[in-house]
Amino acid sequence: MKRYIGKRLLTAVLCVLLALLLNFMIIHAAPGDPIRILAGSDHVSPDMVAQLTQKYGLDKPLYVQFLRYVGNLLHGDMGVSIYTNQPVAQEIMEKLGPTLMLCLTSCTIALIIGTLIGIFCARHVGSKLDTFLGSISYFFDSTPSFWLGLMLILVFASWLHLLPTSGMISLRAPATGFGHVLDVLKHLILPGAALSLTLIPYYFRIARTSVIQVGNEDFITTLRAAGMSEQRIYRKYVFRNAILPVVTVFGIQLAYIVSGSAIVEIVFSWPGMGSYMMTAISRRDYPTLMGIYFVISISVAIMMIAVDVVYTYLDPRISRDGAK
Amino acid sequence: MTTRKERFLRAVRSNTQLKVGFAMLLLLILVALLAGVIAPYDPYKLSDDLVTAPSAAHLLGTDHLGRDVFSMLVYGTRISLMIGSISALIAAVIGTLLGGVAGFFGGKVDMIFGGFINIFMMMPTFFLVLIVVALFGSGMVKVMIVIGLTSWVSNAKLMRAQALSLKERTFIKSAESIGESKLRILFFHIIPNGIFPIIASTTMGVATAILTESSLAFLGLGDPNIISWGQIIQNGKSYLLNGWWICLFAGLSIIYTVITFYLLGDGLNKVLSPKLRTS
Repeated sequence: MKRYIGKRLLTAVLCVLLALLLNFMIIHAAPGDPIRILAGSDHVSPDMVAQLTQKYGLDKPLYVQFLRYVGNLLHGDMGVSIYTNQPVAQEIMEKLGPTLMLCLTSCTIALIIGTLIGIFCARHVGSKLDTFLGSISYFFDSTPSFWLGLMLILVFASWLHLLPTSGMISLRAPATGFGHVLDVLKHLILPGAALSLTLIPYYFRIARTSVIQVGNEDFITTLRAAGMSEQRIYRKYVFRNAILPVVTVFGIQLAYIVSGSAIVEIVFSWPGMGSYMMTAISRRDYPTLMGIYFVISISVAIMMIAVDVVYTYLDPRISRDGAK
Repeated sequence: MTTRKERFLRAVRSNTQLKVGFAMLLLLILVALLAGVIAPYDPYKLSDDLVTAPSAAHLLGTDHLGRDVFSMLVYGTRISLMIGSISALIAAVIGTLLGGVAGFFGGKVDMIFGGFINIFMMMPTFFLVLIVVALFGSGMVKVMIVIGLTSWVSNAKLMRAQALSLKERTFIKSAESIGESKLRILFFHIIPNGIFPIIASTTMGVATAILTESSLAFLGLGDPNIISWGQIIQNGKSYLLNGWWICLFAGLSIIYTVITFYLLGDGLNKVLSPKLRTS
């Protein structure tokens, strides 16, 4: 087990290193002088040139530059935003909260609804309702989340005036205490719905397939032959075994959700990482972009390992060496 | 005794997803080919009818520059199909080569190539695409290449598994024993015989590439010189309340196309899966 985790850790570290290397190469391969890219302006003062050259070692060979770049990151120094002049690391920490709130809520809702519908359909395979729900899942699977977000705004905010169109809090009448919580929740409904609806199909499909698969296994047939009631078989054996892949998908989705939610955040002006990233892109704020990319690759790597490890603990049938 | 071909055709005919998907694809291809005939207006032509609701003159209304939305959607079909299929093809070629080499040669080669595949699998690719497009510009060719270069991982995994199992089969062993070169075996035996899952996954890849392109265009990172569905939505979002038709129909076009390729991919997966073919 230790060896297995060690191997996964090595993959993760290599992955983050590769991400950094790509980042580094992209900055150097991009049209234009790296100093101008890092400074974000065509008119760089000599002082600034000297400072940036010193900091990133731009007068040294490329590999030294790369090592210095990684070194800076390891010290938690992601540079300073060109536009706001704030340390990138600090800005990212501020934006992480709203993104996690949106992502965790949507993923959890999608997990619960998708799994329940999936289990239901697996127990009624081939019924009209199964076919119908299957088609709906195809539809939402193919729907771009940003478009769904716009349509939700159109119907629930513009036409029905039920919910706010954007942001996380009402700027006109800022509330405090419990009112504040309610206000945030109200703002969370539409972006949460847009994200959950596009995530539900994954859970639906995985849950449906794995319940059907487990239901067809020999040990279930044996239990049936022994006269155990259908309800008990499902409750005690099928669901427990079928839930494993769902857990995996939850983990993997959480890992990628930060980049997946970015576009929904932009539609709803949700003040999280996604909006932050888009602002950085439109301002060509490279230190910020590199910082965000670094944080995302690390969190994806950590989540993937966590999923692997949890999975091997949950399911003793998987041999650590066989798990790929 | 039926031949393999007959069995295959029967599997195709009895697969509803494949049939529906194929019919939907046919319509898409027709629209793309006959865009000039179907579209009533030049999609780039500006007019004074700004943001007018759907009517007899403009079937799906006009946008903020007075362009006919229906004509724009019709021409957008070409762009979407092209970007989707070329990106997916690039991903298929890279994935097949990397996976094939890793699985077939094994040993140290697999450690390096297979390791690279595993590492790349953990990369948050959408961010990578965003940064590259933001830095290097957003021409259509660049977008296709970047999407292709970042979406080959699932193909590589599939091909590696195929090569691993195929190389133990007798016909490969015999080819080796009569002295065929390793590269020849890889390209003439392993890849052609193991390509089926890649075909299904590439079909799905077309759908994913179309979604990625539309997301890029929606974020304002699409090619400004072409009309794509994502871009129509991006332009239309400022007129959501007074011109809901601009966004609505462009989104439905994306959904229709993506569903088409999902259905085809799912269907092909069932028809071409090795389990089904050997049974």
